[in-house]
Amino acid sequence: MSAFDFLLQGLATASDPMLLFYALIGVTLGTAVGVLPGIGPALTVALLLPVTYRLDPAGSLIMFAGIYYGGMYGGSTTSILLNTPGESASIITALEGNKMARKGRGGPALATAAIGSFVAGLIATLLLAFLAPHVVKLALVFGPREYFALMVLAFVTVSSAFGDSTLRGLTSLFLGFGLACVGIDQLTGQARMSFGVPDLLDGIEVTTLAVAMFAVGEALAIAALGNTGEDKVHAVKGSVWMNRSDWSRSWKPWLRGTFIGFPIGAMPAGGAEIGTFLSYATEKKLTKHPEEFGHGAIEGVAGPEAANNASAAGTLVPLLTLGLPTTATAAIMLAGFQQFGLQPGPLLFATNPELVWGLIASLLIANAMLLVLNLPMIGLWVKLLTIPKPWLYAGILLFATLGTIGANPSTFELGMLLVFGLVGYGMRVFGYPIAPIVVGLILSPMAEQQLRRALSISQGDWTVLLTSPIAAVMLGIAALALIVPLVMRMRGRGAVLSQLAGDED
Amino acid sequence: MKKLMLATILAGAVALPAMAADYTIIAPANPGGGWDQTARTMQAVLQDEGISSSVQVQNVPGAGGTIGLAQFASQNEGNANALIVGGYVMVGAILTNNAPVGLDAVTPIARLTGEYEAIVVPAASPIQTIEELVEALKADPGAVSWAGGSAGGTDHIAVGLLAKAAGVDPTKINYIAYSGGGEALAAILGSQVTAGISSLGEFVAQIDSGTLRLLAVSSEERIEGVDAPTLKEVGLDVVLQNWRMVAAAPGLSDEQKAAVSADIEAMVKSASWQEQLATKGWADTYLAGAEFDAQLAADITATETVLKDIGLVK
Amino acid sequence: MSLKQYEIQRRPDWAALIIAAGLAVFGAVILWDSARLADLGGYSGVGPGTVPRVVGIGLILLAVWTVAAALRGDFPERPRQQPAPVLWIIAGLAGQLILLKIAGFSIATGVLFALTARAFGKRNLTLTLPVGIAISFVVWIVFSQLLMLNLPAGPLEHLFFGGAR
Repeated sequence: MSAFDFLLQGLATASDPMLLFYALIGVTLGTAVGVLPGIGPALTVALLLPVTYRLDPAGSLIMFAGIYYGGMYGGSTTSILLNTPGESASIITALEGNKMARKGRGGPALATAAIGSFVAGLIATLLLAFLAPHVVKLALVFGPREYFALMVLAFVTVSSAFGDSTLRGLTSLFLGFGLACVGIDQLTGQARMSFGVPDLLDGIEVTTLAVAMFAVGEALAIAALGNTGEDKVHAVKGSVWMNRSDWSRSWKPWLRGTFIGFPIGAMPAGGAEIGTFLSYATEKKLTKHPEEFGHGAIEGVAGPEAANNASAAGTLVPLLTLGLPTTATAAIMLAGFQQFGLQPGPLLFATNPELVWGLIASLLIANAMLLVLNLPMIGLWVKLLTIPKPWLYAGILLFATLGTIGANPSTFELGMLLVFGLVGYGMRVFGYPIAPIVVGLILSPMAEQQLRRALSISQGDWTVLLTSPIAAVMLGIAALALIVPLVMRMRGRGAVLSQLAGDED
Repeated sequence: MKKLMLATILAGAVALPAMAADYTIIAPANPGGGWDQTARTMQAVLQDEGISSSVQVQNVPGAGGTIGLAQFASQNEGNANALIVGGYVMVGAILTNNAPVGLDAVTPIARLTGEYEAIVVPAASPIQTIEELVEALKADPGAVSWAGGSAGGTDHIAVGLLAKAAGVDPTKINYIAYSGGGEALAAILGSQVTAGISSLGEFVAQIDSGTLRLLAVSSEERIEGVDAPTLKEVGLDVVLQNWRMVAAAPGLSDEQKAAVSADIEAMVKSASWQEQLATKGWADTYLAGAEFDAQLAADITATETVLKDIGLVK
Repeated sequence: MSLKQYEIQRRPDWAALIIAAGLAVFGAVILWDSARLADLGGYSGVGPGTVPRVVGIGLILLAVWTVAAALRGDFPERPRQQPAPVLWIIAGLAGQLILLKIAGFSIATGVLFALTARAFGKRNLTLTLPVGIAISFVVWIVFSQLLMLNLPAGPLEHLFFGGAR
């Protein structure tokens, strides 16, 4: 039987009404838990995995697939509507998505996120099914120096979220670097910047910082404006649905996001957020409407959301073909697969085709179910914004702290939420962009570790960074991307470019 | 009136007796890791076997389990319903982090499972045997890079012990720490490093498919079904088991401790526990009572010595 | 830009100078901390203190840049800030933090809810507090009882669901 026959057979099995129902439950649960700010897909899957144990293998597999995709998708809704990213992969979505929502374009933003996620999930799952063994070979070529170069490239992308002031953008980024120094140094086990406080040894949780900066900081900043003036947030202006121009501006970013997110998700040390950063920067470079970036450009939602979901499927590549759990989510899924008697590894596709294709068929069904669930919900979601401000913000803070408490019920974590919330408020007041500090916290430890690993393997020889062609090319692109705009800005005193750079976060 | 209501609520809360065998298990790590999986497997088995009617798992991640341990010890004095999962990694983490609360602050109940360390090279590597690897290490320790888990963890300790046994200065080993088993495995498969070290289970699928070559294992005797010598066989006196255990709260009475021990023993002896171990590929290394206490003490002493040798603990 | 605005911006921006001071202090703390680290660079030559040192120096340079910008009046104009609502929200978050372990999730989060609503103009605490506690309690039931998320329980939770701790 060929791969295609297996897939068809899997789809036929999965189209049983009862199984479709399980898929729907899985997607609903996954989305419901995934929307909570601070609860990422890893915890969502860990919490909900036991639910699937009670079903027969086919049922639990499909429900599990639903939970996984639902959990990955869930974060984008709160990012767009409430400016509170649920996990690190949806931070970028908040940048443009929330601006759209404030202009009454929350409907199209949610729609492009949902459809983009579907398109990306569909293509990436098919890529997983047919190309996994080849993709994984490519992914293994990536060693520490290549990852370091990838991180440098991702750093460059942050500059596109700097806003109108290089000083304030850089300051925000360096604050992120500074916070990243906190905790045990991975490579030597030395405690840095923790001042003997055990709670600081593991460093600052990205989700805590993101929830504090976005949700708490936002609530404080809006409250500080007082009740003077009318509410600037419009629930719905124009159609809830995407119009023709939205479609034509979305489909290319969806595809580009998919092809950026999938391979990066497949890399053992890639991570979903890197794909979203790169996709955002790409869309900002290619768009025909650069003036809209920073004010709610639909491309800035479509691309990163597609990249996010494509990398979710990409993560399954090393997991299924090598048995490599490359993220916390993947590690939990590995435990889940073992429950179904599926032992991921190099021989999986050969020894256990029914289960693999059953899983892939389940992922396709879950992906479709996600769209079925979310599109009709958009009308309902945007109504959230019509809730009067006192109730809305009280609710946002309720759910933001629920996520933090649920992930780690410690008063210390809540204290950090408060402190960083105040920092986020201060940064908003003085026009500092919020995204770079979070991005700095995510990227800088990865870049530092990979650089030190590369140098340790080469025994201190820095030229290894350039002797790998892949690394050299990526570093070259990064250098160009930094220098060219700088030169242009020097020449034209930045009249055009500062316009392009948009403003605030 | 309000006060009265509050008082009633409080009284109600206090009056509710703690139901017997309602366990809360602390997994002092993030979801997904070995301790979390151990805790969640215990949860499933304890409930399925009817040993406990309700079991909750709580993740208290941080600093190699030392944060969870400290919180557990301080909040559960005398609480017979609280359990914590831990393991060998915790022993090292307590030392390297200079943690204020050690394993003496809890009541160890039993060792549950364990895995031995395995040393591998990529299939394409010119190194064929453990002896050749040791020769290379002796010739130039810096040129042999090792990929393994976190700094000061079991894998790092094993390399330190190996170097010491081979007569190489343990501070000279070129150990590349990775945060997760997966990342380290990818580096080994991609031939980014000379050799890799981790729990045998992490490598089994790769060894079976021929992409990795297993050179040696860190067990006392040869492991059944594993075609590789022990380190002892080749003259390196290194035996190391990465074990996982369950401990109870401090300050328990002897009866309480006996009751918890009996529940854990019932769990370990159950068919569903054995079934879970088989699916997860964990070895049953159940050890309880005085024997476990003695082994724990011996491990703590040995670990302290090697961490000092590597230079991670002063 | 009107003349009046221009004059305001010509004066040194004190808030920006304070930010600069904060950045310099943060940078100095990082440098001080990294000086204490053992040099365990091993074969890489880049030890645990290297990156913090670069970041620390970077922060201090940014502090200098910020001072220059502040003296030039380069900082954007800020909307008027009302301190009272901000303090209400801080009080809410602090209240939740303090009450969480003692009073359980619902009561603690109810307090946060009510005080946040207060910050946005719903002054009637006898209405918002019960509403907040009720909503938090429903959330607690859904997430801790149905989804097995571990949320701290207090008297209210024990009253309905029993069980100690």
